Amino acid sequence: MEKQQIIDACDPVNRRLLLEGEQFLIREAELLDRGQYGDWIGLLAADIRYQIPIRITRERHAASPFSDQAWHMNENMGSIAMRVERTFSDYNWAEDPPSRTRHFLTNFRLSEAVDRGGEQEIVVRSNLLLFRSRFDSPAYELVSGEREDTLRRTSDGWRLAKRIVWLDHTTMGISSLGIFL
Amino acid sequence: MHNDTAATPKYSRAISLLKEMRESLKEGIIPVGIFNDRELYEMEIEKIFTRKWIFVGHESEIPSPGDYVLRYIGEDPFIVNRDESGEIRVMLDACVHRGVRVCRAEKGNASHFRCPYHGFIYKNNGDLIGMPAQQHAYNGLNKKEWGLLEARCDTLHGLIFACLDNDTPPLEEYLADSKYYLDLLFGLQDEGLEVIGEPQRWIVKANWKVAAENFSGDAYHLIFLHHSAYEVGSTPFSMLGNMNGEQILAGNGHCVDISLDKTPQPVDMPYWNFPQEIVDTFRLDRLDPKGLEIVRDSKEMLGNIFPNSSFLLMTVTPEKDLPPVPFISMRQWRPKGPDEIEIWNWFLMFKNTPQSFKEASYRAGSTTFSLSGIFEMDDSMTWETITQTAGNRFARENLKLNFQMGMNGMGKAKRDEEWPLPGIAYYPRYGEGNQRYFYESYVQTMLGED
Repeated sequence: MEKQQIIDACDPVNRRLLLEGEQFLIREAELLDRGQYGDWIGLLAADIRYQIPIRITRERHAASPFSDQAWHMNENMGSIAMRVERTFSDYNWAEDPPSRTRHFLTNFRLSEAVDRGGEQEIVVRSNLLLFRSRFDSPAYELVSGEREDTLRRTSDGWRLAKRIVWLDHTTMGISSLGIFL
Repeated sequence: MHNDTAATPKYSRAISLLKEMRESLKEGIIPVGIFNDRELYEMEIEKIFTRKWIFVGHESEIPSPGDYVLRYIGEDPFIVNRDESGEIRVMLDACVHRGVRVCRAEKGNASHFRCPYHGFIYKNNGDLIGMPAQQHAYNGLNKKEWGLLEARCDTLHGLIFACLDNDTPPLEEYLADSKYYLDLLFGLQDEGLEVIGEPQRWIVKANWKVAAENFSGDAYHLIFLHHSAYEVGSTPFSMLGNMNGEQILAGNGHCVDISLDKTPQPVDMPYWNFPQEIVDTFRLDRLDPKGLEIVRDSKEMLGNIFPNSSFLLMTVTPEKDLPPVPFISMRQWRPKGPDEIEIWNWFLMFKNTPQSFKEASYRAGSTTFSLSGIFEMDDSMTWETITQTAGNRFARENLKLNFQMGMNGMGKAKRDEEWPLPGIAYYPRYGEGNQRYFYESYVQTMLGED
């Protein structure tokens, strides 16, 4: 289930961390929307976990509306690399021509800032609205959710170590997910 | 006053389209218009989805009394639950008073279902037990006559099927020759199977028949459409090298499709690459020689239970540098109009397997056959454009689709006279006989000739 905590970002140190996280995520989204997946993979930590759990309509008293065993995506570097390789295949019928996406990221909040064995990690939560348009149709698809991103500071800058997308959808209104949220 | 529309028989245009199709099918021709037609769709809901057995879930999703999930048969929502006595029931999610839905979530545990409108309350076996101010409002009502509407349901290896028609034969008889193959796969382990997590649901703007036909036996599309999966190493064998196999007409429109060499020969990944300790739990002793050959030597096994319930077993690599892992998927292609389906996708695994294996199997399945699946996303793209084509004026009136592979010497598929197992088999998989059989059964059902 989603993290709830928000760290006060008025404090100058936290403010700086949140700003760095925001800048990283905005740059990362730009690479996704431009289809520069080779560069995008460079922003991922080698131990990346990328997860989109399935959401179910549950009653208010239920522990969580999110599955802990079922996923739309549950990726590591190996499977992400396979997906990216497929993206550039001559046989990528679903995404060539590529769908046009726009990641809208808002409501950035710092949820955690910890030192893990000398490595600084921050958790930044944000709201995601993804717009997608395909072929020559004026129709579009929207995917809405909350991102919970763990970023790790390395000597080469920040890297995405973990992403969980907490969807606002139960039944997905999109026909395929050949892109990254 | 004379009413012209009343004089037109119900579904007259759809019926003439079906009669045209019945004739053209003899030549392996199908008019594209059947894949996006409102009148045909309404007729399908009435003639097919309210009459046939439909897969709605698995027992393992509702292990305890009171557990429920919400499922659909055609357009209608049904509560699939286990009542206090442990019996599985399938009940229409609608109050008998005004039709308000009484089930408030997709999954949960409930001893009772309560209508939010006037407070009619039902036990989880569907019995109406009361309402507010009963003595003033409904004194004298015979509550026994006013329970939730119930569908027939039956199970096979924990797979729950439901049927809305009392005249349809029992499930086992309905499954006909497909039962052998379901027994073979789902009966391999004494402990049975369980659903991993919750089913995925997503919308594809495609006609349901396109999906059902694909799982009935369209092995041919693997070679080209899914070539990228081979390129990136997701599937361990080339699709071109996977075309040996049996395509089986399994009665009542059901179809089974198994990759298998005619003569037994050593395969790279026996037993679908299940680890030996899991193979050791399989009841291979119960299998006949050919059944054992399927389990040991086939690379994939899939099929469609007419009309819209499919199964798939395949062995794929979920990520680079990992060995291939088998997964099992069940499907319901839920019709939501002539040009839309809601795909329901369950991943199942044998209960008596390590949790880590279940997780690896789930990942193998979701990487390849799911909303984000690198096989599936190419399928849904083509299914959508077939449906678009079928909705367009010129195409629907002029485009006749070729389903002739395996007919008149075209395509290598020949009747396999020696196939020792139930059903009528064709070998190899260069044929479209399964699809033609699906559509023949479809036309017969629609015209009331089944």
